[in-house]
Amino acid sequence: MTDFDPGRRRFLGHLGLAGLGALGAGSLLSACASSASGPAKSGGSGAVTIQSNLSSPQAKTAIEKLVENFNKLGKGTASVNTIASETFRTQLPTYLTSANPPDLYTWYAGSVANDYASKGLLLDVSDVWQGLGEYPQSLKTLSTDAGGKQVFVPMTNYWWGFFYRKSNFAKWGVQEPKTWADFLAVCETLKSKGVPPIGIGLGDTPWVASAWFDYLNIRINGAPFHRELLAGKQRFDDPKVKAVLTRWREVLPYFDPKGKAYPFQEATTALLAGKTGMFLIGTFFADAAPKDALGDLDFFRFPIIDPAVPVAEEAPTDGFFASAKSANPAGTKELLKYFASVEAQEEYVKSSSGIVLPVHPKAKAADSPLVTKGKAMLESAAELTQFFNRDSSDALQPTADTALTKFMDKPDQIDAILREWQASAEKVFKG
Amino acid sequence: MIRKLRTGTFHTGMLLLSLLWLGPVIWVVVMSTRTFDDIAANGLGSLPHSFTLDTYRQAWVDGGELRALINSLLVTVPSVLLSLALAAVAAFALSRYRIPGRRTILLLMLAGNLLPPQILLIPVQKFSELTGLYDTLWALITVQVGFGLGFYTFVLHGFMRDLPGEIQEAATIDGAGPGQIFTRVMLPLTRPALAALGALSFTWIFNDLLWAITVLRTDDRMPVTPALLALQGQFVSSWSVIAAGTVIAAVPTVAVFLRFQRHFIGGLAIGAVK
Repeated sequence: MTDFDPGRRRFLGHLGLAGLGALGAGSLLSACASSASGPAKSGGSGAVTIQSNLSSPQAKTAIEKLVENFNKLGKGTASVNTIASETFRTQLPTYLTSANPPDLYTWYAGSVANDYASKGLLLDVSDVWQGLGEYPQSLKTLSTDAGGKQVFVPMTNYWWGFFYRKSNFAKWGVQEPKTWADFLAVCETLKSKGVPPIGIGLGDTPWVASAWFDYLNIRINGAPFHRELLAGKQRFDDPKVKAVLTRWREVLPYFDPKGKAYPFQEATTALLAGKTGMFLIGTFFADAAPKDALGDLDFFRFPIIDPAVPVAEEAPTDGFFASAKSANPAGTKELLKYFASVEAQEEYVKSSSGIVLPVHPKAKAADSPLVTKGKAMLESAAELTQFFNRDSSDALQPTADTALTKFMDKPDQIDAILREWQASAEKVFKG
Repeated sequence: MIRKLRTGTFHTGMLLLSLLWLGPVIWVVVMSTRTFDDIAANGLGSLPHSFTLDTYRQAWVDGGELRALINSLLVTVPSVLLSLALAAVAAFALSRYRIPGRRTILLLMLAGNLLPPQILLIPVQKFSELTGLYDTLWALITVQVGFGLGFYTFVLHGFMRDLPGEIQEAATIDGAGPGQIFTRVMLPLTRPALAALGALSFTWIFNDLLWAITVLRTDDRMPVTPALLALQGQFVSSWSVIAAGTVIAAVPTVAVFLRFQRHFIGGLAIGAVK
């Protein structure tokens, strides 16, 4: 330390200098504050801002196209703000609770939307729904919060199923199984030919395992029980849940042993290369497939286990909700009406390359055998579920990931795993 | 003979070690030249079956990387300059004058650096809204300056403290005030440390993702790191385009590092040994 004493006076002078500096910094800051325009503060007739998580290039193009078309209609103006979907997921609560939030958000229907609605963050869009008489009751129920008002407007959904390559199934001489017994037979045949029958990808994407849990549960115990379980009204250590895992255990030997190491995108590659036989996955996986393989893809519905249980399918529904603090609720609702219309949904389905279905009953889906088959499957289903996290919450999903990953490693410890799952689920529900 | 063997082993070992370091970088560069269908059909880890530079066009044009790079520089350059200027002034005062409580001030600055930034995310976001800076680049600059200041001051303080007091006394005798001593004597002597810190802080601020997504929400205001993230789709990502974007985004930091690397190594060592 230098012992340099500048003396009191000089020190004071120096302080004055520092003070000046602070003043300067202060005025600089206030200059920033006054020049901060922020996102265009939309007055009664300002542009409606859409905060979108559709960051994949095709989906982004599709939503931008829709907004462009809407702006031409003369019912208001809108702009899209695309955020990386991973960022969007973590920042959505911040967006919604900020003082001057964006008006409209892409998100999921079901209990995730209801969570925000119960905190008073979502705009009541019941009057939009008055014009949606053609929509099935199931979608309306899905978009209704606990207080009985509609808070969500759906636009598209997609389905889950066992996907496979037609050429490979022909080569191996197997047919689409309809029942659990058929399914086991197919697995046995493929295994005898040296192909791991069931592909899966759990590295980085452990939530893919929840599809198995969801499907086995809705096939064995039915969709109502499944929903109650995910809402915390049933217990995970219930014998009915144990029956789900016991059934799953029957097919565990048929799973691709490498599936725990890589994410589902690579599991897709393995399926297309014929290294696995079939793959329970949502249609979004097709985006990871090379274009020339798409025509060779087909799927079958999750095999029926108990014919007495009404058939339910997973059909995750995507759409929009609006902020309760929107500065332009009228314009936001106009835009929502447009998104709910036949022409908007047909346009969206056309521009986005992914396999998605429009939810408007009269809107035409893409004209391909695969899409027609998927649409028919969903239409014939007695009940639709969303997906584990959408029917429960993003907080409950990790408990499922932990439990199911552990189960696939140590299937002989079902009881202990379910007890643990129940304990961690209780913590989430107490929240 | 033994010496030859030793050098040989040393060189092979070092070669393997540097390959281990360079491996991921080479992998990313190779990946950036593959087509989407190649990666989808053969997997990320396979040898390339295709060659394309279109991925760079996609990252640059469709991914909006130009805008993002401009934003990044708009944030990084002022942040680096402002935080180093403020830190230099603070370090000068703290190290060369007997300011009451200077140890406490310094420790407080250091303690601030030990706080994990994650616990400050929500306060910072709320505060930026209160001040009206939310969703502007000013907010990001303010945050970066604020968070860098403590560490830079600490390092510069350590450096300036060891400069001989006689220089300063001589300058005072020659009639220089504190301002002149600072600008004409101290700053030139501190140059190696400033250059090293400048290169470091440039990299840190340029590569920051957390603060950017905390205080910004509009896509055309995002710097390059969130923009890279935005190249990812919800489920499926075009890894070759992301790799190309990453290569582009790495260019400014590499350039700054190459320019300052001499100071970087020298600067950090100075002051370490008396």
